[in-house]
Amino acid sequence: MSAATPGRARAARSTRRAPWPGRAGHGFVAAYVLLLIAFGVVPTVYAIYFAFTNADGHISGLSNFSNAANDFRFLPAIGHVALYLLFWLAALVIFVVGLALLLHRLAGQGVSRALRFLYYIPGALAGAASVMVWLFLLDPSVSPASFLLRALGYDTFGQVIAPGHLPVLFTLIAFWTGAGGWIVVMYGALNNIPHDIIEAARIDGAGAWQSARRIQIPLLRKWIVYMAILAFAGGTQLFVEPQLLSQASVGVAGRDYSLNQLSYDFAFQNNDVNTAAAISVELLLIGLIAAALFVARSGFFDAD
Amino acid sequence: MPTDTHTARAHAAPSPAGTPPPAGERTRRRGRVPRNPLPALVLALFLVFFVLPVAWLLLAATKTDDQLVHGNPLSFGSWHALHANWTALTGYQDDAIFLWLRNSAVYAFLALIITLAVAIPAGYAMAMTQFRGRRTLLIATLVVMLMPNATLVVPLFLEINAVHLIGSMWSIILPYAFYPFGVYLTYIYFSTALPNDLLDAARLDGCSEFGVFRRIALPLATPVIALVGFFSFVANWTNYFLPYVLLPDSSQFPIQVGLGTLLDDVPQFNPTVGSLAVQRPELALATLLAITPVLIVFLFSQRFLVAGMLAGATKD
Amino acid sequence: MNARLRADGGALRRGAGRRAGLLAAAGSALALAAVAACSSGGGGGSASGTQNGFKPAAQTGGTLTVWVDSTRLAAAQLYQKQNPKVKMKIVTYDGDANGSNYLQTKVSLFNRTRGGWPDVVFSAENNEVTWAVPAGFAAPLNKGLIAQATLDGWASGANAPCTVDGTIYCLRNDLSQTVLWYNEKLMKQWGYQVPTTWEQYQALGQKVATEHPGYLVGDAGDTFTPEIYLWAAKCGANQITGAKAVTVNTTSSNCTKMAGLLDTLIKNKTISISSVFSSDFDKKEPGKILMLPGPAWYGGALFQGTFKTAAGQIAVAPMPQWAGDTSPSVGNVGGGTWLLSAHSANLKAATAFLTWVTTADDYQGKLAPGYPAYSAAAKTWLAGQAASGYYANDIAAPLQAAANQVWPGWGYGQFSQEAIWAATVTPGLNAGKSLVSLLPAWQSAIENYARSDGYQVATS
Repeated sequence: MSAATPGRARAARSTRRAPWPGRAGHGFVAAYVLLLIAFGVVPTVYAIYFAFTNADGHISGLSNFSNAANDFRFLPAIGHVALYLLFWLAALVIFVVGLALLLHRLAGQGVSRALRFLYYIPGALAGAASVMVWLFLLDPSVSPASFLLRALGYDTFGQVIAPGHLPVLFTLIAFWTGAGGWIVVMYGALNNIPHDIIEAARIDGAGAWQSARRIQIPLLRKWIVYMAILAFAGGTQLFVEPQLLSQASVGVAGRDYSLNQLSYDFAFQNNDVNTAAAISVELLLIGLIAAALFVARSGFFDAD
Repeated sequence: MPTDTHTARAHAAPSPAGTPPPAGERTRRRGRVPRNPLPALVLALFLVFFVLPVAWLLLAATKTDDQLVHGNPLSFGSWHALHANWTALTGYQDDAIFLWLRNSAVYAFLALIITLAVAIPAGYAMAMTQFRGRRTLLIATLVVMLMPNATLVVPLFLEINAVHLIGSMWSIILPYAFYPFGVYLTYIYFSTALPNDLLDAARLDGCSEFGVFRRIALPLATPVIALVGFFSFVANWTNYFLPYVLLPDSSQFPIQVGLGTLLDDVPQFNPTVGSLAVQRPELALATLLAITPVLIVFLFSQRFLVAGMLAGATKD
Repeated sequence: MNARLRADGGALRRGAGRRAGLLAAAGSALALAAVAACSSGGGGGSASGTQNGFKPAAQTGGTLTVWVDSTRLAAAQLYQKQNPKVKMKIVTYDGDANGSNYLQTKVSLFNRTRGGWPDVVFSAENNEVTWAVPAGFAAPLNKGLIAQATLDGWASGANAPCTVDGTIYCLRNDLSQTVLWYNEKLMKQWGYQVPTTWEQYQALGQKVATEHPGYLVGDAGDTFTPEIYLWAAKCGANQITGAKAVTVNTTSSNCTKMAGLLDTLIKNKTISISSVFSSDFDKKEPGKILMLPGPAWYGGALFQGTFKTAAGQIAVAPMPQWAGDTSPSVGNVGGGTWLLSAHSANLKAATAFLTWVTTADDYQGKLAPGYPAYSAAAKTWLAGQAASGYYANDIAAPLQAAANQVWPGWGYGQFSQEAIWAATVTPGLNAGKSLVSLLPAWQSAIENYARSDGYQVATS
């Protein structure tokens, strides 16, 4: 009797305390919604508005899109980005997950921590900071990796940045800067897997590869999907790496390489924000379709 | 790896697992002492890949431009050259480098505080509570995150101009504080790492939603707070384009834009720069100064990414 | 009772939810409206849309805002020092160099918000008027703001990139006319004559290849290579014929003749295909330069600054010409321009500063790093260069002559010729292709970029 009443009283109290269960949720997200609207939704909607209007503000249908598609750099850019995406997604997902797993299995906490730090350092060298680094790194006459470059048969900077090498070079640069951060995220995610489960698997005879494949990777599902979504979008919106190489090589390689660069050219060189927005909208659509596929197949939005 | 067998044997007693492995298995595992060199090799290879360019950069700051081109790439220059580079760097536009670093610190930290105050509760709510528009919010956040930002500059500029914030540091800090990536990180963390039973137990005990958040979720969220804080700080610190376009005065530049300014004065990139030339070792030194705060913050926040935060929280 | 509470709670929730949703929608709509109201809705054109005629803004005076790059900062500071009564705000920016488009971006944003333009701007580029005039930013200078007598003091053709339909919209800061730099010590040592014609130049290059292999007579690896060789050879790759019209012909005899010369010397390795600023070049070549056709700033920036060649070795001769050519022509690599904002509220002070900074001996003659475009200041500048004692001969005469020989058939369009060459021709040269074989690809690349910038392209 007495056990039941307090329970029901507690239940009644909690129901009475929260007549609108969603109110707390709304309270929590209010500030974020404000920022989202101000710096997310409004600029995005405005950009989409630009894509469908012309310079005078009149609705122009799909003319900006056809304008972009007819540009002589558009089709090559699509090819470049598609090829880069292949290299980039494969490298990022495989190596980041692999390295995170390897680091997690390391015995010494100190070694693991040191390695995570050292793997991360390039991530701090974003953009302008690394122009000079790559200018020297890719030049066989002054590079610390010159033995590797010469072994591959390249004697001058110009030979290293030949057009055929660019997808690999950009993947290299992007991975060098981006992998460290994702390794840290994956490592943290691995830490959240309860130790008992791993131990149980070990006791049951699972080797490292098996416990990774059967237990850890499935439990990292949401994180891997998140990384894949962002890597896909980041890949299609390739900008920093070709811009960097273009600056380092004074325009010999990487200029007008990607669709995003083309969008910037339209916006800031031709002062044609509308065509630039059209390309941005196309990139957004591709990213959303891919994200939708990933999300649908992995139950990303389910609150566990 | 031998450590596996050690820990396995140590936990063999209290572990709730089912049948113990057959005797043959156990002896086979004990016998498999030679460590597999492959993981270590892979880790070492990647270590060289990540660290070699940074080592080059470190050494570049100790050289003269001549040594940079003619000397061995991985040789140490001289303390004298390092001192000369430091003097030249600090002399550039009267200590501009320190001004830029200070600006970066102010922008990044202020934005970080706002980001944490905004993103952590938002991510928590989206993961652990039900409310109308939860899914819409998630989708909107994702859409906005995926929008390429070439064309966001113009609307952003107009917006900020409309509230008369052009030229103020808030024109940078407020956009920085909007960090959807961090919200998603928090969302994923809470939805995967925080069991609902914990929260339900607290709710049954009469805690308000905010109480649940403050007393249960927040203490357990230290890893994700560290993660989001760190990534937010780095994103703000390394952001180039927004301050480049929005800040009119070079005395307001953060260090990233400052580095771009220095790069523009390197003779190899701008031949007619004349006597104000910034030599490349100077630029290397400036770059090292620029990345040091990021690395310090990294080391600081790493301490919070500790294993087993939730061990013992629930009895399963 | 529970049911009623739940019902009330439900209503409250729905109401609050709807309210919150409405609030969010209203907030977005408000923000959008504010943003829309504040934009001019135009794509960067001035409201009046006129290209001639210049309606000055209300002349309220006030602070003079000047944008300079770090090299020209000294000029602005000197002016402030000499004119303490003038209220100046000096802002340093990247000078719009290396294709940053910063100036164009900011001006288009200012056009949208209708405010914030600087009064006087320095740009490291020569093609600003191609967008600044349609954007209504650049003020016409020869319609009364600056005396014609002053404008006549510029080297002939120096302000051509600034001129649209006879109206001058900017002033050249410095010239980069090309001359033939050579090592006098080596020339004397080996008993060579300094070539005066391209034929002699080629012959000398072939001689050097056999007698002194490893030594260079030129460089074709820079992005500005076409501006040195092909511009001087009167190659019609960049004939700007109107505000948005260009004639492109890279396969004419002038072009193929020079390309053939370059191919011959690249093949026998007396012309390098590494940029003079590359580490590759810096490591092996500086001591091996016999001759190097190049712009006026090679002397300071390249030989003294980068290569640190010893004094007394480097000399200057006029750019070679084709034998029998009666109109000598040289190329030009760079320069810089000053623009005056048509929106300036302080035209008097702005014009005074503009005139001073482009013509004054105190800056251009004594402090400027480059050959001044204003002839009188150039004389002072040359005297200073000679007094330094670095050069092996009198560099004034060839430089002064060349200043007036820049071929007018190569203009400055909105598209960057240097960037096109770098992206199209340099990779081909690096892959071992001949320059002559790359000329058609260069032609189509220029046409493509010109068309995508809205130019009418003719091919002959």
